[in-house]
Amino acid sequence: MTAATRAPSAQAWADAFAEASNTDPEIQAHGKYFTCSYLLDATERRYVVEVQSGRVVNVAVDPGPLDVAYDFAIRASAETWRGFGEPVPAPMYHGIWAATFQRDMRLEGKVLVLMQNLRCITRQIELLRVVGAPV
Amino acid sequence: MSRISPVTGHYVTLEVDGLEYKVFYLENGTGQPLVCQHTAGCHNHQWRGLLEDDEITADYRVIAYDLPRHGKSDPPENAEWWKDEYKLTADHYVNFIVALCDALELEDPIFMGSSFGGNVALQLALRHPDRFAGVLSVEGADYSPGFYLDWWQHPHANAAQVCASGVWDLMAPQSPEADRWKTWFYYSQGSEAFKGDLHFYSVDHDLRGRLGEIDGDRCPVVMLTGEYDYLTTPEDSARTAGEIRNGAFIAMPEIGHFPMSENHATFRRYLLQGLEALQDVKAAKSG
Repeated sequence: MTAATRAPSAQAWADAFAEASNTDPEIQAHGKYFTCSYLLDATERRYVVEVQSGRVVNVAVDPGPLDVAYDFAIRASAETWRGFGEPVPAPMYHGIWAATFQRDMRLEGKVLVLMQNLRCITRQIELLRVVGAPV
Repeated sequence: MSRISPVTGHYVTLEVDGLEYKVFYLENGTGQPLVCQHTAGCHNHQWRGLLEDDEITADYRVIAYDLPRHGKSDPPENAEWWKDEYKLTADHYVNFIVALCDALELEDPIFMGSSFGGNVALQLALRHPDRFAGVLSVEGADYSPGFYLDWWQHPHANAAQVCASGVWDLMAPQSPEADRWKTWFYYSQGSEAFKGDLHFYSVDHDLRGRLGEIDGDRCPVVMLTGEYDYLTTPEDSARTAGEIRNGAFIAMPEIGHFPMSENHATFRRYLLQGLEALQDVKAAKSG
């Protein structure tokens, strides 16, 4: 099964991602202070994920340039994000540090906010292995 | 029925560059000493699988120490270390390992280290080829820039979680989840030392252009690197080994930057190959 068939549309992907995060035991156990918003930029698709106290309260799909504010951005090509959506990602598609050091991923904006929430963000991004790629 | 492990722990006091250290080490097994260095910001529990590996401890005396400022090895006993910023240098690191081997009166030890331990393995082969029977450089390279970051100690973030989750991606998705989480847990304990260790790893260690000076006849070098390592990739280690006389490289699929800690069952297969390669060089020399 390909990532594309696991996430048939951008809105369906956004809903599945929010559901996976909000029912994840690790984020539930450790997300009490997990509050931030970030742009997941997959080039062909963009999402702004808004989290409050460990709960995804909104995922904006392809927002306009000034529609939704966010703290930081995780940007990469669609091809890189598709690698993240594999159940067992190939090397360098297996995390935001790996893809930033060795592929085309970029971490931009308030990186301090990313670092403050690194544990739960890391877990959220790993959920792509279950939910599928965002693009 | 008792479930007491055969692994024992000891302290040994030694002096290096005027600093006195009380060093904690775990050991098990008999035979040629196999001295094991943990990765930066971590401690000797990374070698827990190897320390209880019946096959390897039947032939080797496995010694896994905590570098000073890590685990149960305190910072120097005779210095006001809290008044200085900790920045590990190649000189001090090398001198420490030799002093430890001397203090334990080890004959013909094999040194094995991972990550910043893999890098210092190359430094040992370069500087002390007659003190070691050989070195196993795990996840090592001639140069490994990019990880001497302020984030490891940034006061506005949770340093324990930044260090632990910052190295999470260095592990392979195939490695058992419980072992990856143990490694994460170790990394949540070492943030104060982590950055200072990385001063050696990413700044002071630079053997570019000097690998040809390593005498691989006197001190054979075997390098092993996991394919999920985003810091020192298999290509980096293969290139490094290729520039060392008699240097050997073993690629390790489906494992990452902490092979002994994230997946000993997979790592041991490559380790046995590495030990065999060192013994082959020794046999060729004596033959």
